[in-house]
Amino acid sequence: MDVKYKINRLEATNSIRPLVDRHWEELRTAKARGELVGWASGPSFIFPYAMGMKCHFMAGYASYCGGIGAADELLKAAESIGELADTCSYHRLHTGMVEAILKNIPITEQAKLPMPDLMICGRYCTEQAHYSEAFYRKLGIRILPLELPFVFREKDRPRIKKFVLRQVKEIVIPTLEDVCGKPFDYARLSEILSVLKQTAAIRNKCWEFLATRPATWTLWDYAVSMAPVIYMMGDPKGIPYYENLLKELEYRHKNGIPAMAPAGEKYRIYWDGWIPWAFLGKFMRKFTPSGAVCLCGRYPWEMFADPESIDPEKPIESAVDWLYGNHGIATHLAPKGAIGKIGELIEEYSIDGMVMFSSKSCRMWNLSNLDVIDALEKKYGIPGVVIEADMIDPEMVSDSQINTRLDALFENIDGRRK
Amino acid sequence: MKKVLAKIDEITADPYRYVAHLKERTGKKIIGCFPMHVPEELVHAAGMLPVVIWRGNELVTWGHSHVPPYNCGVTRTFIDDAVKGKLQFMDGMVFHVRQCLQAGEFPLIIERNVKPAYMEILYLPPIYEGEAIKSFLLDDLILFKESLGNFSGKKITDDDIIKSIGIYNENRSLLGRIYEIRREKPEIIKAKDVMKIVWSSMLMPKEDNNELLKELISKMEKQEVKPEPDRLRIILVGGLCQTINFDILDIMEELGLIIPDDDLYVGSRYFANKITDFEKNPIKAIANRYLKKTPLCPTKSVWDIHWADEAIKKMKLNKAKGIINVIVKFCPPHTTYYPDFKSVLAENNIPELAIEVEHEIISFESLKTRLQTFTEIVGGV
Ligand code: SF4
Ligand code: SF4
Repeated sequence: MDVKYKINRLEATNSIRPLVDRHWEELRTAKARGELVGWASGPSFIFPYAMGMKCHFMAGYASYCGGIGAADELLKAAESIGELADTCSYHRLHTGMVEAILKNIPITEQAKLPMPDLMICGRYCTEQAHYSEAFYRKLGIRILPLELPFVFREKDRPRIKKFVLRQVKEIVIPTLEDVCGKPFDYARLSEILSVLKQTAAIRNKCWEFLATRPATWTLWDYAVSMAPVIYMMGDPKGIPYYENLLKELEYRHKNGIPAMAPAGEKYRIYWDGWIPWAFLGKFMRKFTPSGAVCLCGRYPWEMFADPESIDPEKPIESAVDWLYGNHGIATHLAPKGAIGKIGELIEEYSIDGMVMFSSKSCRMWNLSNLDVIDALEKKYGIPGVVIEADMIDPEMVSDSQINTRLDALFENIDGRRK
Repeated sequence: MKKVLAKIDEITADPYRYVAHLKERTGKKIIGCFPMHVPEELVHAAGMLPVVIWRGNELVTWGHSHVPPYNCGVTRTFIDDAVKGKLQFMDGMVFHVRQCLQAGEFPLIIERNVKPAYMEILYLPPIYEGEAIKSFLLDDLILFKESLGNFSGKKITDDDIIKSIGIYNENRSLLGRIYEIRREKPEIIKAKDVMKIVWSSMLMPKEDNNELLKELISKMEKQEVKPEPDRLRIILVGGLCQTINFDILDIMEELGLIIPDDDLYVGSRYFANKITDFEKNPIKAIANRYLKKTPLCPTKSVWDIHWADEAIKKMKLNKAKGIINVIVKFCPPHTTYYPDFKSVLAENNIPELAIEVEHEIISFESLKTRLQTFTEIVGGV
């Protein structure tokens, strides 16, 4: 008889929405309080946070727009100024929002952000620089540039780390001091890191419940819980959020309540690439009826996976170590390093199959997806498929393609189980 | 002139055969440099032959197993060529992994499938202010030099680099001279031939190319042309990393447009900026050339100069009346720039047309119609 799978929804994640809304509300009202506003791309916002700037995070804004259903209207506004559909949809969301504000095109009120005083350009992905440059050209907004190369070979790590540290000291800090008109606040940076360390440590305990068999919660639950370790970092409210989440997970585990009713998942899936912010519900509906749960992915695992390496006493070094320390994540962004990282996740979370979510408007990772699958399939004997879609743009998401690929994946897993 | 152009035609019509033969003929190692910013002089100084990797000449087939269709032409065809074994004559390949996201994915695909004897990566930084960037760039170049030396077995001296820079600078001057002549009498040569001339420089040993260009220049200088004042002068901008379909250039000319100059990669961008002050510290001089902000390359993240302003300057210098933006489809550095480029041209009432070029054959009919309309607009200005 066919099993009717259903997700057991968590209670704890209900409290994330008010926290997230408050973050964006504070940003929207920052100027009225005389606060400076920054728009940040890449993992660079921790520095302006230390200076008390209200800051948005490029990808975080995309997730927020996806959540409030504003993505579509912003993409349309972007199209009206000649943005080409092949351009990163995160980029287009922002140019669309600015265009809508300037031309009074009606859009969802919460999607409107105050114009920034500074573009904090962490050039992690090269597009993140193009994004800042576009706003310099459009609005003349000053740019704080920070080149953050991915590490392609272990031997390059020390010199890249030195280079980034030097940029932070010679460019980032002096620019922020100039823009904010006060000395850099090292003490506040330490505080932020200390809160982040505590939050991430509890979050890591929560991750253990993704590794249980059956899984106690899902990647999508974690995706909606990411804000406290990303753009809300340093906000002490993140700690009780994760404590509460952990409590619920422990309770579930003790009482045999799995993430997937009635008795746990059939397929444990690795999810590569961005979270499909505008389509979370859609993807859940695609996985659940087959008994599949997504449990981990290299993108959501980027966010301070190793709280041990955060040392609030050495705030600048810690901020750089996140990317370039011994456990720094800038290695697994380059495809070769990704194979090692994904392999670790496959083992730790007992993964049955891989879904590579290839965003059509983002070239990060999509070129080598098939090679990454091939390498991992050879090593771990598990299959993988690529889903071609987009994290935001509905024009790029085809239901039939997704269904076919997922069916093929599940059949393939079944075939290997026989 | 015809004879030289025929030779260039032969080389560019089958670059695979030409480069493979070159290897046999010279006995030198061939190093494929993925466009656009690999400093070829260092490869040359190591006694090897740098060639700029090109957009392939076939439809992508095997490459589909490695690269999704929503990536630019040179990316997809390069991988396709590589996995089909069409680039086996390359002893080495070099990638500048911070140019764009695509370029960063090559090392893994190449290494897993068709690893050449030598593979190197460069992290050339964007042109941001400050000493950190400069010293990181310099280190990158020094490490590159060392790695080339290790592979070639030749200790590369400053004198070697100085000599190579001299040869490369001469090539830049000669290509520059061809462009000057073309600016004076644009009727003298077809746009596709100009593109092939630059492409030949990317493929040939620079010494050989220099000789060929000298011959061509002497012929061009002497050649008289009948001015065709009715043809409308326009400038082409963009075309990052790759040649564009020659038929597109022919269509433009058939419609009565004439191209006295360009800002294309397989065009004036390739040979812009000679390396200067290189006698004392040649590596630093190579770094200084990379750090030049113009011609503006959107992959280098320059924001205080507007690409459209630069294009307008070029247009005026050439007494041209319009600009065609040649956007390689799926090229983020260019697509992200496009709306702002277009808006500056609109503010200045300059006729502009954007054409997205793909590796696969595009519909020439609709392109022709758009070009026709553009020609009418330019004609009316
Ligand atoms: S191109 Fe991709 S990695 Fe870069 S900003 Fe856009 S979504 Fe992020
Ligand atoms: S054409 Fe554009 S996207 Fe393609 S390799 Fe060059 S810079 Fe990158």
